[in-house]
Amino acid sequence: MKKPSPLLLLLAVLALATACNKAPEASSGPAGSARKLSIALMPKSKGNAYFISCKAGADKAAKELGADLIFDGPTDPDPAKQNEIVENWIALGVDVMAVACENKEGISTALRKAQSKGIKVVTYDADALPDSRSFFVNQATPEGIGYMLMDEAARLCGGSGEFAIITASLTAANMIEWQKHIEARRAASFPNMKMVALRPCDDLKDKAQSESTALLSANPGLKLIMAICSPAVPGAAEAVKQAGKVGRVKVIGLGLPSENRRYIKEGVTDSVILWKTEDLGYLAVQAAAGLAKGTLKTGDKSFASGSLGQFEIQGDNILLGKPFVFNKDNIDQFNF
Amino acid sequence: MKRYFRELSVAGALLILLLVLALFAPAFFQPQPLRSLLTREAPTLVVACGMAFVIIIRQIDISVGSQFAVCSVCAGLLAALKWPLVLVLPASVALGALMGAFNGMLVAGLRLPSIVVTLATMVTWREALRWQRQGQFVNLPDNLQWFGLSQSGGQWTLIGAALVVLTLLAWATRHLAAGRFIYAIGSDAEAARLAGLRPQSTTFAVFVFMGALVGLAAMMNVVQSPQVDPKSGSGLELKVIAAAVVGGVAVSGGRGRLWGVFAGLLLLACISPALTHFHVEAYWEKAIQGAIILLAVVADGVRSRKQIR
Repeated sequence: MKKPSPLLLLLAVLALATACNKAPEASSGPAGSARKLSIALMPKSKGNAYFISCKAGADKAAKELGADLIFDGPTDPDPAKQNEIVENWIALGVDVMAVACENKEGISTALRKAQSKGIKVVTYDADALPDSRSFFVNQATPEGIGYMLMDEAARLCGGSGEFAIITASLTAANMIEWQKHIEARRAASFPNMKMVALRPCDDLKDKAQSESTALLSANPGLKLIMAICSPAVPGAAEAVKQAGKVGRVKVIGLGLPSENRRYIKEGVTDSVILWKTEDLGYLAVQAAAGLAKGTLKTGDKSFASGSLGQFEIQGDNILLGKPFVFNKDNIDQFNF
Repeated sequence: MKRYFRELSVAGALLILLLVLALFAPAFFQPQPLRSLLTREAPTLVVACGMAFVIIIRQIDISVGSQFAVCSVCAGLLAALKWPLVLVLPASVALGALMGAFNGMLVAGLRLPSIVVTLATMVTWREALRWQRQGQFVNLPDNLQWFGLSQSGGQWTLIGAALVVLTLLAWATRHLAAGRFIYAIGSDAEAARLAGLRPQSTTFAVFVFMGALVGLAAMMNVVQSPQVDPKSGSGLELKVIAAAVVGGVAVSGGRGRLWGVFAGLLLLACISPALTHFHVEAYWEKAIQGAIILLAVVADGVRSRKQIR
């Protein structure tokens, strides 16, 4: 470990002394802080199970930090209401805010205003324009998602066999990006896995079911269906179930645990991949606090986030890391 | 023979497609996937029958997909509240009829163009549902799927129900006065009025009936899986309008037969699985469906020009 410079030590002592002079009652807090840090956390909408589970992690982080956490957001996803709440927080004089943005452009003006008043801003889950916040807590990179899906598929198929992908539409930018990484991983690590079809389902469960039914009869050697948009996972599972091919054809995909719980428990769907929403809330609050306290600065390459350890920073994106695999063993711990 | 030219050419195209499939992709004809395909199209057939009436009377209803979603979600929520099926089914039909009546009131009562009215209600119902559900699925009680029957029993019931609806309505268009009124008004509303028919109240009734059929179809879809997707029915309006037009219903009204619509629907429904069986890239699917619709409309236009001359 590097030795702290004497000058820094002197400053720290001075700071401590002045803090004690001004507000002796706060001396129990961390060195230098005169009052409790106030952190405001905004979901896209308050009633959504996904964000409620984010909040559970955020509460934990606030407790560990000894900070005040304000949790507020629109009842329904509403960009105008989000702006209003940001304005309220500016008036209230919070130290830092962490926002999941419903509309990228819409909220950025309000966030810039907050920054001009000296309030630090981070975004999580869905980003604002880069100049309106310091960091974005990024829950998953396309690479992370693509590799995880391919690794899981190869693991379930024992490293070789045919699989098919069901996507939302052939033009969705994020899905094309994921497919690229799925293919890159397949070519590099699992050359014996063969993708036999790519079918769009228009982001509809019913269409995903029809497509899967056709895939199953057209490809008798199919070992796995990978559904990379969330309504397609239960759709594919229902098709496999109705075809009586449970166990012979595996189903994996990207989706919410709640929509797939039934099929995972029945053994139709093997695993659903997403991130741990609780960790996302935890990291968002830790990053907000770090930014306010100065332990997180622009240009940092990593960030130590309390009990979850180190997180990598790419540019101004703090990465939550590898996605999480929900399966039979852990699905009951998650209620979103 | 010539009277049925349009219907027969669709049926011919369907037969050719099935023949090609039989020769090059016999796996298409495995019983289970085929039964699944028919079951999935059963609700669409019911809606397509209603749409045929709407087009024959020279109107259009593009809100059927949204009505379908609203009925599906409401039926799902009622079933989740432990309502018995014998109550959920009429509730869904009544709700559909109510939404149809709203369209009918504006179209027939205020004489507004149906394309504008149903465009507005399409967006309104769909967005209201998005706001209410926020994309969340409705989980259904376990005994609802397949009406509590076995899977194949439930599938046959649904296919049978759709065929019964088709047969009854096809019979009604030939032999009931109300059925003939629709053709008469669609051919020439003014002449029909002078002959003593009431075009506005018949139009209203057709929209109500359309809605009721959507409510029935929604229920036939809900029982096929243990969850309701609040986005279900997206694009349904295009599917059924396409089926009607390809099946020989004249876009200018006054002409069309339900068994032609049935053939048109099957033709369009078989294309996607056929492409999967031929291992053709999915990029082509929509283009082929579009080409078939275009062909039908052009054929319709050419024939009606000939008739005018």
